[in-house]
Parts: sequence; C-alpha cells; structure tokens
Amino acid sequence: MKIEFKNIDKLTDNVAVGAIIDLSGVDFMDPWAVVWVCLKLVNNHGLEDKAVKLPVNNDLLCYLKRIHFGSFLSELGYAEESGRLKNLIMPERENINVQELVHCNYRDEFDGRLGRFIQMFGNFGLNSGDATLAATLVGELGNNSFDHNLGSWPTDISGNIIIAQNYPKLKKIQIVVGDPGVGFLGSMRPAFPELSSDLEAIEKGLSGFTGRIDERRGNGLRLIQEWTIKNFYGTLSIQSGTGLINVSAKGMKKTEVKPILGTMAQLMIEYR
Amino acid sequence: MTIQMIKFGEILNSRTAAREAVLRVKQIVNGSPEDIILDFSKVTLLTPSFADEIIKGIKEYYPDKKITYSGTEHNEALVSTLKGIGAIY
Repeated sequence: MKIEFKNIDKLTDNVAVGAIIDLSGVDFMDPWAVVWVCLKLVNNHGLEDKAVKLPVNNDLLCYLKRIHFGSFLSELGYAEESGRLKNLIMPERENINVQELVHCNYRDEFDGRLGRFIQMFGNFGLNSGDATLAATLVGELGNNSFDHNLGSWPTDISGNIIIAQNYPKLKKIQIVVGDPGVGFLGSMRPAFPELSSDLEAIEKGLSGFTGRIDERRGNGLRLIQEWTIKNFYGTLSIQSGTGLINVSAKGMKKTEVKPILGTMAQLMIEYR
Repeated sequence: MTIQMIKFGEILNSRTAAREAVLRVKQIVNGSPEDIILDFSKVTLLTPSFADEIIKGIKEYYPDKKITYSGTEHNEALVSTLKGIGAIY
C-alpha cells in the first residue's frame, strides 16, 4: 500500500487505528504522508495504549532510517521501534534527493537550519536565486508555526516538522512543513469569531487576513501563494483540522478531509 | 545613515528577530537627522515577515524619515521580498 498526498485521506482508517499507527502494510510514503504520521504520533502522545507498527517493507524501512524518522520516534518515547531503525543495516548509499526529517522544537533551531535549506535546494538542482527564494518560502511557512502557536500549543510537543523530496525525473520538489498547533481555525477565531469551519479559516488566511488582533500582518501566506505559483509553477496545499485547500494557477480547490492535529503545508514546486 | 543589515545576520527571518532589530536601529540612529538606508549587502535570506516588521517598526519611530534600500543587486530573492511587501516597486 502506498500512502501519499493524493490518497492518504482514503487510507486513514488503515493506518491510524485508535492509538495505534500501523505502517506494517505500507510500502511507500511521500513527505506528506511522513508528516501526517508524525502529527498522528503527536496526537497519540498522551495515550497509554499508544503504539506504532513499523513497515515490513525493507525499502521503506531504509527510507525511514535515512530520513531519521527514528529520532522522532525516540523523542515520543517509542524506544524499541527507534532502536529497530537504528540497528537496521542498509546499503551505505547517499541520497541527495531526500532531505532528512527535521523537528525544530524552538524558533532558534528553525532559524539555524534555514541556511541549510538554501544548500539543499541547490543540491536538488535549483539555481542560486531560486534556491534562496524557495528557502524564503520555507522560512515564511515555518515562521507561522511559531508565530501562531506560541503560548497555545495543544500538547507538550511543540515546534514544526519539515521534510523535502526531490523528484529529478519530474523536475519537481515536494516540501512539507507541519506543526501540531492550534490550526487555522484556532488561530483566526480571535479576530474572526464568525468562522465556522477549518476550510473557511484557511481561505481567510490565504486571503491575507491574520488572526492576530490589532496587528498589521498577513502578507506571508499571500506571498507564499504568489511565489509558488508564479515563480515555481507550483501548488500550495494546506490542511488544517478537517480542511484541505490546494492553490495553483488553475485556482483554488477545497476539500473536507479527516482531521489532523494542527496544520500541514506543502509546496510542490517545479524547476527547469 | 546606512544600517548594515548583515550585522543582524546573514539569514533575516521572523518578526520576533525584526522587533529586536528595530530597537537596535533606534540606538544606531540616536537622534541623527539623516534619512535611513537599509543596506542588504552580504545578506543571504530575507523573509517577508522580517522585512515587513522591521520596515514598519522603523517607520513607526521615524514617520518623517525616508527609508531606501541598497545592496540587493546580488540577490534577486531579496528584491522579491521587498517588492512583495510593497517596500519597493
């Protein structure tokens, strides 16, 4: 079973069963699926019967080891599974098309890693200007995780989770930034109490409005959309709670999906 | 008066960092009557959040001063950010 951006909502019940994350039948995960699983793990963090079943598929296990998924598992108390990944023997093969999973607990950690994202985009094949602009997009997305959740994180796991993948044959890069925060609705409601759904809240945020009372801001998401579409011919996807919105040159597509804790944002950008 | 932005870091990110930078700019200006030039030479990355916050913050302190920008020619992403927030056209 493959779990990825385009099908994960349909396969939720196969993978997340109560407090158990069951990846045993999975043989492929894209970055969206990885961050989705991470947020589910955070969601289950306080549950006594929480468990995770690692994939049987060796290629996927190697991928999870390569992206340092074991470190995230270790952070959440899954010592046995983390140890299994650590001890996994795999071909010593560098893969510059995969960016390891990064969990930045604090803003300073995130700021410190931004420079590495410029280098990563360069390694993926972007020219210097585009690599910097793409890292600026990640910077802006990551800022939102901290700006909108400081003092309000719903669980004791804070920060953002970032992973990227290059698809050289398609000349596409997929970058996903997720956070187990209050989500768009939680962030926007103080300023717009009339908002009644996650979809409405995401749409409001994408229109350049901010949930911060008496503050002049809100340019970030507007620019992220503009640059993703105009500079990279790409698609911005945002899921928060039960709302999923995709924005591309073709317009905006809104979908109701099964809930996640917090927010996930994905940039699918193209390069030449 | 030229403010060398590289002294605030090669990576300029977040409103939080920009708010602190505004306070430092105030110390540097320290009553000088000159207009302000933000010089981005050697800066690698400038996010819209940082740029928006520092420019608005400086304008709040010095509504009569003109703010201009230099040192952006080496980096088109910086120009995109400044254009994106309406600081330059």
